[in-house]
Amino acid sequence: MNKVALADLKPAVLSIFSILCSLITGGIILLVIGKNPVVYFSLLFAQGIGTSLGVIESIIKMTPLLIIAAGLLPCFAAGLWNIGAEGQFLIGAMLAGWAAPLLSATLPYPVYLVAVSLLGAAGGMAWILLPAILKARYDINEIITTLMMSWVAISLVTWLVKGPINDLSTVPAQTMIPFTRIHIGFIIGIVTLLSMHWVIRRTTLGYQFRVMLANKKAARHAGMNIPRLTVYGLLISGGLAGLAGVSDVLAIKGLFQSNWNPQYAMAAIPLVFLARLNGWAVIPLAFLFSFLAVGGEFVARELGVPVFFVHVLEGLTLLFFAASQYFEKKWGSK
Amino acid sequence: MNSLFESALITAVIASTIRGTTPILLAALGDTYVERSGLLNLGIEGMMVGGAFSGFVVALKLNNLFYGFLTAGAVGLTLGLVFAILTITLRVNQIVVGLGLTIFAQSMSSFLHRVIFGNQFPILFGAGDTSAIPLLSRIPFIGQGLFNQHWLVYMAFLLVPALYVLMYQTRFGLRVRAVGESPWAADASGVNVNRIRYYAILMGGLMASLGGAFLAIGDLAFFVPDMIMGRGYIAIVVVMMGKWNPAKVCFGGLLFGFALALTSALQVAGINISPDFILMMPYLVVIVALLFFARSTNLPSSLCIPYKRGGD
Repeated sequence: MNKVALADLKPAVLSIFSILCSLITGGIILLVIGKNPVVYFSLLFAQGIGTSLGVIESIIKMTPLLIIAAGLLPCFAAGLWNIGAEGQFLIGAMLAGWAAPLLSATLPYPVYLVAVSLLGAAGGMAWILLPAILKARYDINEIITTLMMSWVAISLVTWLVKGPINDLSTVPAQTMIPFTRIHIGFIIGIVTLLSMHWVIRRTTLGYQFRVMLANKKAARHAGMNIPRLTVYGLLISGGLAGLAGVSDVLAIKGLFQSNWNPQYAMAAIPLVFLARLNGWAVIPLAFLFSFLAVGGEFVARELGVPVFFVHVLEGLTLLFFAASQYFEKKWGSK
Repeated sequence: MNSLFESALITAVIASTIRGTTPILLAALGDTYVERSGLLNLGIEGMMVGGAFSGFVVALKLNNLFYGFLTAGAVGLTLGLVFAILTITLRVNQIVVGLGLTIFAQSMSSFLHRVIFGNQFPILFGAGDTSAIPLLSRIPFIGQGLFNQHWLVYMAFLLVPALYVLMYQTRFGLRVRAVGESPWAADASGVNVNRIRYYAILMGGLMASLGGAFLAIGDLAFFVPDMIMGRGYIAIVVVMMGKWNPAKVCFGGLLFGFALALTSALQVAGINISPDFILMMPYLVVIVALLFFARSTNLPSSLCIPYKRGGD
């Protein structure tokens, strides 16, 4: 019994270890540019989790991460690499920004929320449909196509928002949980995340995804429809990335502005890896990443350490995590 | 008058096609060897950004373009070495390492740019000088476009036949192809699989960084953090379209160079399309090109699979 528990802890230990390594390396980088890492990190933690404002901001910021990560779970579990969640997010957000003022006036409130959410999710799905079909039918690398679609999306939404659908009317953000600025997107995030966790572990679809990753040939011989699974996996992740865009626009911004690109996908991808496709583990990691981002913004103003430093830490974490996989294999073989 | 304008436009389009091709071509030629040897390098985008940034900073601070390119090369080799140690020696997931490297190099460049320059975007005077080849550069229409370019442009295009010969006529090229196709067979015949892969990725890192540096200090004379704009990934596409053959890769590179050149030419010609709309074009070209050229790809069999003697 005790032995099993230890083995279960191993992934967590390695993830924490890689985060620590990246913080230490980050500290060395700060030293090199002449900043005091102790001051930086203590301020970061004080601002990020020491104040209720910091905690609430972090929770708000982790909402899109949770929803995007929920979509990436089944996708990565099937060995499908949707790297273009940023594009799907923007398309969903843009559609929400366009439709919300139109629909909020005519539809009852709950219906309006559902309608805009579905529209945004459909937009995200539409945006990944072409890469999904290309992957399923011609086995064209989805890493490349989703990324390219992401670049197209960045220009497309800018063009649309500046021109054809230029509309500055906002919708009031009024989906708060009482007494906080946390909105229902957070609950949706947790629910989708845990249901995706359940889907890949407890459903036939999830089982098929996992077999597909482990051995495509075996999956085909067992009669699984690989092209269809490929399309499903990618559509789920595109749809949820679109939904994440809706949640940010409806609950926080109230409108979609041009040149607004928060690049959540860049943080969501590393954290899904770090969590090893475990939905429960995504939650604390998403909090960590968004707390770093929130704290990083506070500290950027006070200490003059640019916000990009947080992304440096994310990249480093991913590299150390990759390295830790080697040591895990070593442990495993003993 | 009108025809004069047209001929000037043609010359400009040719020249900017060649210039736009160069960074992608450099990165893609290096990546041809990387992929042939069985590695998928998604860090190539980060290597290009790293090369562009480090080359720019050193060239600006030392006021010497050559040191800029030298530094970019060193940064590319270093990032290539990190990729190699993690994926070849430690045999961890190449996709994770590649993405990690790209995120790290991109954000590190943005970070250091802010630390060094604040919100300023200084211009590097004297960068982008071209050297005209006597006689050839005076051919009407095409002369100025083709033969009045930066030295690195000539080098990139001369590397195409050189790397073609290296790939298909030398022992090294044969070994690169062998370790990507069936590493165990190569190993059995006495080839050091990992060493060949190290050489390939070091070469890939070096050339990607030089490509990035060309963009910053050979073509544009300034650096902005998001200037690479997916060119690294486009290079990967170009390699796949070119079926891992340096000569065909060159044509793929020219296709994107042309798409990029049209992007700016359409704006110069005063055609009334929003620049944001035109900016989508190169990426759409990538997708269409993949659809036409990469449908039946014979990927190197061991692409993305680490090699370990005696199997796993």
